Amino acid sequence: MRRITLWLLSTVAAVVLAFSYRTSTMGAAGGETVSVAAPPTTGPTGIGGSPEDDGTTEDDGPTGNAVTPETTGNARSYAGSVVQTRWGPIQVTITVTGGKITDVAVPTYPSGNHRDEEINAYALPVLRQAVLDTQSAHIDTVSGATVTSDGYKQSLQAAIDAAHLR
Amino acid sequence: MTTATAMHPVPVRRRAATPRWWADAAGAAGWLSLLVVTALWMHNSGVQQTTGGGWTAVAAIGRLAGLYAADLMLLQILLLARIPLVERAFGQDRLARWHRWTGFTSFHLMLAHVVLITLGYAGPVHTNALAELWDLVVTYPGMLLAALGFAALTMVVVTSVRAARRRLRYESWHMLHLYAYLGVGLALPHQLWTGADFIGSPAARAYWWTLYAVAAGAVLVYRAGLPAWRSWRHRLTISHIVPEGPGLTSVYLRGRRLDRLPVRAGQFFQWRFLDGPGWSRAHPYSLSGPPRSDLLRITVKDLGDGSAQVAALRPGTRVLVEGPYGRLTGETYPGGPVTMFACGIGITPLLALLWELPYRHGEATLVYRARTEADLAFRTELEWLAAHRGVRVVYLLGARAGRPSWLPARYADNTDEGALYQVAADIARHHVYVCGPDPWTDAVRSAARTAGVAADRLHTEQFAW
Repeated sequence: MRRITLWLLSTVAAVVLAFSYRTSTMGAAGGETVSVAAPPTTGPTGIGGSPEDDGTTEDDGPTGNAVTPETTGNARSYAGSVVQTRWGPIQVTITVTGGKITDVAVPTYPSGNHRDEEINAYALPVLRQAVLDTQSAHIDTVSGATVTSDGYKQSLQAAIDAAHLR
Repeated sequence: MTTATAMHPVPVRRRAATPRWWADAAGAAGWLSLLVVTALWMHNSGVQQTTGGGWTAVAAIGRLAGLYAADLMLLQILLLARIPLVERAFGQDRLARWHRWTGFTSFHLMLAHVVLITLGYAGPVHTNALAELWDLVVTYPGMLLAALGFAALTMVVVTSVRAARRRLRYESWHMLHLYAYLGVGLALPHQLWTGADFIGSPAARAYWWTLYAVAAGAVLVYRAGLPAWRSWRHRLTISHIVPEGPGLTSVYLRGRRLDRLPVRAGQFFQWRFLDGPGWSRAHPYSLSGPPRSDLLRITVKDLGDGSAQVAALRPGTRVLVEGPYGRLTGETYPGGPVTMFACGIGITPLLALLWELPYRHGEATLVYRARTEADLAFRTELEWLAAHRGVRVVYLLGARAGRPSWLPARYADNTDEGALYQVAADIARHHVYVCGPDPWTDAVRSAARTAGVAADRLHTEQFAW
């Protein structure tokens, strides 16, 4: 075989194998519809929240706990919508006591690779504190976790709407 | 039909002069694209992140480096896509020089991008940079493709470093160079899927998709489509071969509808003779006679790179062409005194111009430099032009001067520009055409500039790149 043929075949092989790798087509599957929020749940979110959206979630981990409102004494929980971000779905749940957000939980967040985990390990506590401080979804994006922050804020806003907070 | 009269020009369609704003428009477009990239980066908090310092700043600068690298690579593809507007505005010799510069610059920016992004990502989470790099490549969307593209581009750059380039056969180097297209293409997915400046920015995605689409379209249309169409439309075949002198061969070509081939005297094509192996390499040869509606002529010197085979070509052989290219034309010549400087095989485009330019009797001078009298070509034609169109032909024979000069040794006691005044005392008013080896062309060029020839009257083109 001539050298040029060998080069051609090797190149084709390298490209085909590279495109077969899982990260090489993942963007194409998501298409252009990324980071579009699921429509915010309307009305009182008491009826089952939005777990339908979780069908797209890869890990069927703790996403089912969005059943709201959950009344514990005076405190009620409200789940935000599941927001699909570039890195994966994110969902925020807030606990409201006496018209104030007293706690924020994130049952679902991107964890596709260990960088997501590392980033979120420091970003989520920062975001949580910001929500408790400002009592709103108007919080600063965490540097280095822009995508997660944006999804977080969208889901958070849906939860705040559901709780009829201002 | 003698050789001389065979090249009598037959009127062909003339092309309008290249508008001077084309160069401004093309230059402005390139500059604007870098501006757009910067603006999109700034819109995505690039400046705040940079001034904020820390690892975020490192990653932000890394992103900008990557964006510039990609933009410059796509601009290069456009520069070399043989887009007629770009070709005519700048000329291939300048484009090739710019390509070398932007090529290495974009590669260095790409290296900076890889290093800075890796550090910027590894820093905040305190991981080892190499581990982070591996993680980036194997887990981030499109990153394995980007790594492959990086490898392809690295190979292209390494084989284009002068030392390596000299060791490679032209054909091998050229084939490897085509991997640049692959490398640039493989970089796109990671930009769109992982690039922080794309996610959530429809404007950025639109810009990059457009740039990639335009670059790919330009290559397909002007590098592949147009030459294929022209070759098919005109069906050039070899009519006959005429030896012109030692190591010098003229090839006469016929084809269909040559009057519709938009070529001017002084221009060149990339030629492929379909006579067997070796056709994969295209050779740049200027027309050595004015383009006619029934006949074209090129003259080839044996340079030891396959050009010797030309003498053995058979009539009837099919020929593929890319072109016409080149700015050494009479397009901006309005009439009036003209002086041409030819050295060696550089005579070919100037001879075509002598046939075509509309100078009046006695207005044209040709200075023809060669080693010995035996090396002079086209004596019959030059004598015909001297007799019938009053062309003054000055032969400069002899060995090179001991210093860099366009003069042979025997006249080397003149200064370069002093000798120009002896050729024509009013040289500053002349249109000057120069064609020859690069150092020789440079010597004439700088002497002419010193002697007061305006830049827009000084026409040169370099062929050795």
